[in-house]
Amino acid sequence: MKASPTAIIADDEPLLRSDLASALGRLWPELTVVSQARNGRAAIDAFERHLPDVCFLDVHMPGVSGIDAARAIGRRAQVVFVTAFDQYAVEAFTQGALDYLVKPVEAVRLQATVHRLRERLASAAPSTDLAGLLDQLETRLQRRITTPPTLRWLRASIGDKVRMIPVDEIDYLRSDHKYTRIAWRDDGGQPGEALIGMSLREVIEQFDATQFVQIHRSVIVNLASVSHVVRRANEMADVHLKGRPEILPVSRTYLHLFRQM
Amino acid sequence: MYIDSTRHTDADPKPRTHSGRWSTAAALGIGWGLLMSIGSGTPTYSWVLRTVLVVGLATLAFGVAERWPPTLPRWMARWVIQLLAVVLAIPVAAFFGYSLTTSWPFWAQSQRLQGFGIVTFLAILVGPWIALGSMVRQREALARHQALAFDLERSELERQALDARMRLLQAQVQPHFLFNTLANVRALVNSGSPTAPVLLDSLIAYLRAAVPRLGEPATTIGQEVRLVEAYLEIMQMRMPDRLRYTIAVQPDAMHQRCPPMTLLSLVENAVRHGIDPSEEGGRIDLKIGIDNGHCRIVVADTGIGLRLGKGDGVVGTGLATLRERLRLTFGGRAALRLMADESGGARAEVDPPLDSTAAGSVA
Repeated sequence: MKASPTAIIADDEPLLRSDLASALGRLWPELTVVSQARNGRAAIDAFERHLPDVCFLDVHMPGVSGIDAARAIGRRAQVVFVTAFDQYAVEAFTQGALDYLVKPVEAVRLQATVHRLRERLASAAPSTDLAGLLDQLETRLQRRITTPPTLRWLRASIGDKVRMIPVDEIDYLRSDHKYTRIAWRDDGGQPGEALIGMSLREVIEQFDATQFVQIHRSVIVNLASVSHVVRRANEMADVHLKGRPEILPVSRTYLHLFRQM
Repeated sequence: MYIDSTRHTDADPKPRTHSGRWSTAAALGIGWGLLMSIGSGTPTYSWVLRTVLVVGLATLAFGVAERWPPTLPRWMARWVIQLLAVVLAIPVAAFFGYSLTTSWPFWAQSQRLQGFGIVTFLAILVGPWIALGSMVRQREALARHQALAFDLERSELERQALDARMRLLQAQVQPHFLFNTLANVRALVNSGSPTAPVLLDSLIAYLRAAVPRLGEPATTIGQEVRLVEAYLEIMQMRMPDRLRYTIAVQPDAMHQRCPPMTLLSLVENAVRHGIDPSEEGGRIDLKIGIDNGHCRIVVADTGIGLRLGKGDGVVGTGLATLRERLRLTFGGRAALRLMADESGGARAEVDPPLDSTAAGSVA
């Protein structure tokens, strides 16, 4: 018969940590909160040190998230996730039959959770196998925070500075061994050059294929920057750009892209 | 999508109306031929052959002159060439028409010569008018097409502006931020802390500043700064161990206009992507000044910087809609620059041009 159950609370916001601790103190007096952690890493440390019966983990924490911490804890304790209003997270939790609390935590909900936990501890039931569920959970939460693919930024080096280049300011990209050269327009509309440490192949996967088209083994052009295309002999062509003197080659393999009339 | 620049270089492309043109020409030729044959000794088919030839060759000349020669000196209008072609083609065609349908030389017989003259005269009288009518109709069709294209582009821009406003609305009333903040307020109230009303006041100030933006196309820097102050106060109370901030605004910048939520988007982005993911947190510095006809806004943070976790690459940040809003308001004159800061964090800069109609100057 378990004497006095223990718990840890993890949340990056200190007011919420202590608030949950007080609420638990009222609703579950036998429970002892042995540690409060301010991020995922501290939560894992605290768990290894105290080996509590219950872990209350905020999902959104810097560095190591609540989900990562839950993974590290595995089946060794009862895990209850705490999350701010988030319909996707709630969906994911319900689907995975995981225990969760929504901030601001309502007394009634906390009471129900406490009741469930007490029963489980008393019956010494094994905790849910979180492994598979956590992966699903993470994918669902990631889906929520993906930004629209159309407007993006490319992180590049210009000389010794690092700049974020908006993708629609890019005129074309040219591979340079393992790097890629970016020809872009700066805010004054002046043409400039930048370098990124990714191969052209890796870069093209991330771009919108309807706007950025590969015209040659080593060149990708932004269709919006194309002025006109001149056909040459030998099934080749040249792409002329707006406001730039460079002429880009279109190789035989890609010539078909410019045949739509 | 393919434009072969070695071919024609006229300014406006001519929509090809071949089938319409030729069927009209055929009908005209045959009809005219039938008319001419009434009360004439010459057999109908002869007349029809002549008139069809005249109309046909004139139409052909009209069509050829449309495209050839490909480049004209600037002072020469193509429609003049086309009319000349029609007028020149008519007697030539009539000549051939008569040669084919009568004994040669047809001009020896006065009646044939008279007929030739009449046909040529009538055709030259009417032909150019028909040609002009056709060209006018072409121009009108082109104008309508362009007007339609402009309308489409304008409605597309309107739709984009509306989209940007919609996303703005969604960004303003973020449930995540709201409920998290309320949870903190409740925690303070539960513990009887004297800072509860302070946090509540900041939240009220934030909502009061954010919500009325729903209808306005622009606000002042001063209002934006109040909004950002309220936001940073809230965030600092929520994570006191991880956020510090400074705000430095030149007084004469306070009355400048700027799109709503500009500052807040930048600061929120710094908090969400720079400070919050960092275990130790960092500092946010907001600086606004006036320089060289532009309002200079700088938001720098000492957070995790532009790290992707995998080195260089493509990153999606929360500033996507801000860029769009800036473009819709200022065209290209107020770009958003995002770069690495010397501290290891990130730095965002926006330079909206000064509004010359700003009411009042120094506060």
